[in-house]
Amino acid sequence: MTASGLADQLPITRQAVAKHLSALREADLVTSTRVGRETRYELRPQPLDEAAQWIQTVSSEWDDRLDSLRRSIEKRAGRSK
Amino acid sequence: MKLRNEAPAKQADEKTPWVERETLVEASPDEVWEALTDEDRLEEWLAPDVELDPTEGGEIAVRDGDDERFGTVETVEEAERFAFTWSRPGEGESFVEFTIEALPGGSRVTVVETPTRSAPRDTAAGSTAMAAGGWGPRLARLQRSMRFALVA
Repeated sequence: MTASGLADQLPITRQAVAKHLSALREADLVTSTRVGRETRYELRPQPLDEAAQWIQTVSSEWDDRLDSLRRSIEKRAGRSK
Repeated sequence: MKLRNEAPAKQADEKTPWVERETLVEASPDEVWEALTDEDRLEEWLAPDVELDPTEGGEIAVRDGDDERFGTVETVEEAERFAFTWSRPGEGESFVEFTIEALPGGSRVTVVETPTRSAPRDTAAGSTAMAAGGWGPRLARLQRSMRFALVA
């Protein structure tokens, strides 16, 4: 999909689309390929998938640990009363 | 006591994800602090085997079966903030920060983890190692937590 193609579909200007694409490219989330006079952009979902995976795994690990932390502390606190 | 409601300052860059979780504990910040910074207490909830020198610059080692992480203590603010970096050998490093906030009747404990340094050139292997190494310990913990739930 080209910047013009995207601008046709979105309620923002071609310049705005170009700016967004530039930011996405910098974040390694799109690739760009020149085909003749056009530049075609393609989404790379892999970095987002990896980030989402990391967030899910690490969130789950910390939820488990914090649960154990709470139980460990409250068990002791209860005993000393 | 500072309330944290923005992303941690120590992040690799704006694009790194971070995780923030919290729990409420019916105990004082001092009681929470003890559980966060004493080796033996840490072994009750962080991982089965923990070595910690709870001073800034001190070492931390966390082992859960074959899963090992090593790192360095960054922040020690008694009953308020405790932070360290850690990483699995050959993988990227992250920054872990606990914050304790006194509340009526107890404390809020918040933990934030954020990657600080990516792995030396083989992130695919790193992700696979994380996925492969994580299930055994996670399943064991799930079983334990289910037993707790049934007893409670």
